[in-house]
Amino acid sequence: MLSKLFRKKIVLASLAFALLAGLLASCSGDDATTGGAETPEPGPTTTAESASATTEAVTEGTEAVTEGGEAVELTQSAESRLQRVRERGNLICAGRNDVPGFGFQNDEGRLVGFDVDLCRAIATAVLGDPNAIEPRFITAAERGPTIQSGDVDALIRTVTWTTSRDAQWGNFAQTMFYDGQGFLVSNDLGISSALELEGASVCVTQGTTTELNLQDFISQNNLDIQVVTFEETDAAKASYEAGQCDSYTSDRSNVAAIRFSTDNPEDHVILPETISEEPLGPVVPHGDEQWFDIVKTVMSILIYAEAYGIESGNVPTEATGDPKVDRLLGFDSSFGQSDLGLEQTVAQDIIRELGNYGEIYKRNLGSDGIGLTREGSRNALWANAPCLDCPRGGQIYAAPLR
Amino acid sequence: MAFEEQAQAIPFWRNTQVLRWTAQIVSGLAAVGLVTWLAIRMINAIQDRNVPVGFGFLSRSYGGPIGHHFLPYNPSTTAADTADSFLYSLLVAAGNTVVVSVIGVVLATILGTLIGVGRLSGNWLVSKLSLSYVEFFRNVPLLIQLFFWLTVILALPPVRSGIQIGDLFINNAGISFPWPSPTGVAPTVSWLVLAFLSLVAAYFVYRRRSRLEIRTGQPFYPIVSGCIAALILGATAWILVTAITNSVPFDITYPAPEGRFGRISGGATVPAALIVLLIGLVMYTAAFIAEIVRAGIQSVRKGQREAARSLGLNQFRSLRYVVFPQALRVIVPPLISQFLNLTKNSSLAVAIGYSDLLSVAKTMTQIGPALSIFILVMLIYLVISLAYSLIGNLYNRTTAIKGR
Amino acid sequence: MTVSQPNPAAEGALPPPRAERGVIGWLRFNLFKDWRSSLLTVVAAIAVVFALFYGLRWIFVQADWGVVAELGGRIAIGNYNTVDSCASQNCFWRPQAVLIGFVLILGMAWGVAGKGMTRNIAIGAATVISLFAFLPYSWEEMGMDVRLLLAANLPALGVGWLLARYTPLSTYLRISLLAVAWFVVSMVLLRGITGAPGLQPVSVNNWGGFMVNLILAVGGIALSLPIGILLALGRRSRSPVVRLRIPLGNLRKLKLSLPIVKWLCIAFIELFRGVPLLALLFLSQYLLPLALPEGFFLTRIPLLRTAIVITLFSAAYMAENVRGGIQGLHPGQAEAARALGLSGIRTIRLITLPQALRNVIPAIVGQFISLFKDTTLVYIIGVLEVVEIGRSFIQGNIQIWGGADKEYFIFVAAIFWIFTFGMSRISRRVEERLGSDSRARN
Repeated sequence: MLSKLFRKKIVLASLAFALLAGLLASCSGDDATTGGAETPEPGPTTTAESASATTEAVTEGTEAVTEGGEAVELTQSAESRLQRVRERGNLICAGRNDVPGFGFQNDEGRLVGFDVDLCRAIATAVLGDPNAIEPRFITAAERGPTIQSGDVDALIRTVTWTTSRDAQWGNFAQTMFYDGQGFLVSNDLGISSALELEGASVCVTQGTTTELNLQDFISQNNLDIQVVTFEETDAAKASYEAGQCDSYTSDRSNVAAIRFSTDNPEDHVILPETISEEPLGPVVPHGDEQWFDIVKTVMSILIYAEAYGIESGNVPTEATGDPKVDRLLGFDSSFGQSDLGLEQTVAQDIIRELGNYGEIYKRNLGSDGIGLTREGSRNALWANAPCLDCPRGGQIYAAPLR
Repeated sequence: MAFEEQAQAIPFWRNTQVLRWTAQIVSGLAAVGLVTWLAIRMINAIQDRNVPVGFGFLSRSYGGPIGHHFLPYNPSTTAADTADSFLYSLLVAAGNTVVVSVIGVVLATILGTLIGVGRLSGNWLVSKLSLSYVEFFRNVPLLIQLFFWLTVILALPPVRSGIQIGDLFINNAGISFPWPSPTGVAPTVSWLVLAFLSLVAAYFVYRRRSRLEIRTGQPFYPIVSGCIAALILGATAWILVTAITNSVPFDITYPAPEGRFGRISGGATVPAALIVLLIGLVMYTAAFIAEIVRAGIQSVRKGQREAARSLGLNQFRSLRYVVFPQALRVIVPPLISQFLNLTKNSSLAVAIGYSDLLSVAKTMTQIGPALSIFILVMLIYLVISLAYSLIGNLYNRTTAIKGR
Repeated sequence: MTVSQPNPAAEGALPPPRAERGVIGWLRFNLFKDWRSSLLTVVAAIAVVFALFYGLRWIFVQADWGVVAELGGRIAIGNYNTVDSCASQNCFWRPQAVLIGFVLILGMAWGVAGKGMTRNIAIGAATVISLFAFLPYSWEEMGMDVRLLLAANLPALGVGWLLARYTPLSTYLRISLLAVAWFVVSMVLLRGITGAPGLQPVSVNNWGGFMVNLILAVGGIALSLPIGILLALGRRSRSPVVRLRIPLGNLRKLKLSLPIVKWLCIAFIELFRGVPLLALLFLSQYLLPLALPEGFFLTRIPLLRTAIVITLFSAAYMAENVRGGIQGLHPGQAEAARALGLSGIRTIRLITLPQALRNVIPAIVGQFISLFKDTTLVYIIGVLEVVEIGRSFIQGNIQIWGGADKEYFIFVAAIFWIFTFGMSRISRRVEERLGSDSRARN
């Protein structure tokens, strides 16, 4: 009897197993076929890979879900990001909301800052509305996965441009700010160089490569420095102010903001050493050349508008006669607007809404923001554009608009 | 006959054996299927997006800072030597978490027991204070408590103008005090081995004495005699080792300020962040342990204590020999899960500047494959948790009421 | 003054000595019984006085609470109603409507429960919420509409009570169903509907503040209860045994048992209990988007990913609580049920679970408290819950508000304390009632 029953069980079990195995096989088979069909190219070019990823998402078409009205439309794999952004009606920017000058919320709850203004500039260019942005706040460790997943349209979050990130994460559009790691110390220590920090304790914030840069600096110069790592700037700043740490290190822009926020900024000094190279700028996902070009063009517009002296308050409404200015503002000839799917007068909109690079800098990072000096720094323009032979000594430069 | 049997047989769809087997297998396959499906998708996505994976990085040198560490650690790559590997750095960080966890567990148990007993104290003020303690510390998120303690410790003077009491230095970078430091491998290790043996011997003295005490009813002072035995044996070993190797096993070093920044070197320094973390974890967990202890003591019937008192045991002894052994059965399982909570909560350390396992792992993700690092971190936490669970289960097995 | 009962001690009995009566007697007995007790009292009293002095001085004199006033409504709802998230209209009424719905249901619960704890909670909560209408903000900062909606919570309580009294909505089951419906409607209302007038969609990424903590905690506990029960049953499930007869010498019988369900449940529970929530949240941000289909809504909305992790985490703990409850039941209960002819499932549904769940209510409340506090950890993935919204604001405006984090954290701690203290009182009451029940049974 028992064995009879057992046989039945075995039959039943194998039936169930076959069913599940079939289901599994069909699922994985699906994956395999799409993968095989979509990547005929021998080289692992990112375009093909991303395209295959998109088609895969479409294969699971039923799962492109509408969540409470928010339509996640993935109708065609060929659809460009520009089209998707326009259909969605807003631009998703991964950013931060806790860095003075770069991205934070003001008293009214409005997100402001240098990075945010760059995001708004792109939104103005493609949607005509600087407020059509959806900020996504992410941690430092999430930056790579977020931009790789393509869930966000741009990553503008004080990201340092490095070659490996450019290869793995996404395309770096343009360096919009040159930063570097610096040290803040109290004046009464009487030191004038970071090399004199032998025996000190240094507070550092976790997240980016700040900690690792510091350790490199320590190793190279054979210093004995005690590193105290904090998760957030608040606690690190409190620790520095209470004298628990002799020095605070971070990106110079952040160090300047911290210095400015102490009770007596004159009592603190930023040491001359810059121990790392940090070019910051917007990143876009791999796999959409048009989108990459749009972001680069918007950055160029901001930079050249400053070079040509066009500000939000004085945007000309008709041709000025200066061919460069007329081309920028769309009165005469083109710098590729229609090829990128942008309006002819895109630059007018951007500058009217947000101002040029200089205005954005001044508002957020300069005298009206966290008080970084621009004159003579690397973040000045490379030249006064109308006269190409009067250099300003800076490094802010972009592809000419023509 | 066969026909009859078939008529009586339970149809297979109502046979519990069949149903159970089906349930087991179907659910097993469903789980395996789900996991496989997710894994396949994940692997595909990882390949598509070039997400770095693999464990080859573990042997590479890491070179990131770990602020405070109990195991020796070398982050700096110089011409002479290379920095420690990722794997070893991760173990150093895990060592921090384990030490914090063990010290925290011991302190929280002591404080929690005191407060739990205090809750049942006859003294009105003490019992109400214990109650307020529990209600306050249990009901505020630990993160906020940690920030509070950080503010408190930062209010201490900085190193350069710190408080000095004899050889004790107190400042907002930590507390430094004299500490025995090993002098050399041979004397230190040999003495440690001998000291361990003396402890074992002392334990046997204690056991024999307490058995004698129980058998005869005469006082044999088991604890005192055990301690004396340990001291005598340990001291003998010390003298022997010193005589043979010509050097004392341990030498006491004294802390002293050094250099331009007045950092304390020598002796031992407990860094401020560790103090803050331990205070926060201990105070928070003690509130939960106090409630567990209270419930445990209350679960012992009143008659037990009354009987103990009527046998002539004083209040402490009736608690020690009658109430606690019975209460422990109720206390231990939830206590173990509090130990787990404390260990896991120690992952908040980085908020107040202490480098624990999670904190170091997060820094590592900047240059190593995040996925692999986090899988390792989760495994390490699991091992620590399972170790505690194992201790709890072993204890449960030895003390479970038998013969029921 | 009739002596109705003979009192043997009345005649000639002296009143207790002065030193054992009244205030002095109470003090003597409760504070200064012997020298040890007196010492404890003195030490404790000195500590209390010091703590109170410094604490109160800081709260009322030294602290600057400006940051709390500056953040105002954002503490409650995050960036829900800022210019960025709800640009073209005022969205503030939507969370408020949700709140009124909650108070309405609270009123119904009161109507069903009658007097006692439920009533106190309902009236207390509605009064406190209504009092927010009188916050000393200017009209520009906090308009009449907001104040009126807040004040409307008291009448809503009354309406709920009346509904429970005079309509068929007078059972706990129906109210529970209504509460579930309320939760779903609330989510839709908060999310908004594309195209519907006045319901401009507000991206879930802009939800924040205390609202998010409440949603995560309530949703997490509610969803984790069924999962936890299943896991607990799975962990206790007996595996079928098959005896194989093998014609080999002494090895006649081989017992074959394969407790797959049990192993799976144990693995799940131990995995989620053994790893810090912080690490789980972090990993979920990294792994879930990789594992789930691209464009799938779960991968797009961090708050949902968080909700999933919190639910699973909570379910593992819930499973252990429920298992404790089941193990605490006398096995005779289930045996009797089987003897009466109930099937296995019915035994669990009608006999085991109702008793087990009743016994673990305090544990579930305790878990809710922990979960509620743990929701502050979602800061790690950039969800602007109540701690993060203030922290990021202070850090972003460090020039103005640097150092105000102390005040903000203590304010948030106070909010949490009020909620969790209330809940732990409820739990203690339930525990006492259950305790007295079991004592009566014994």
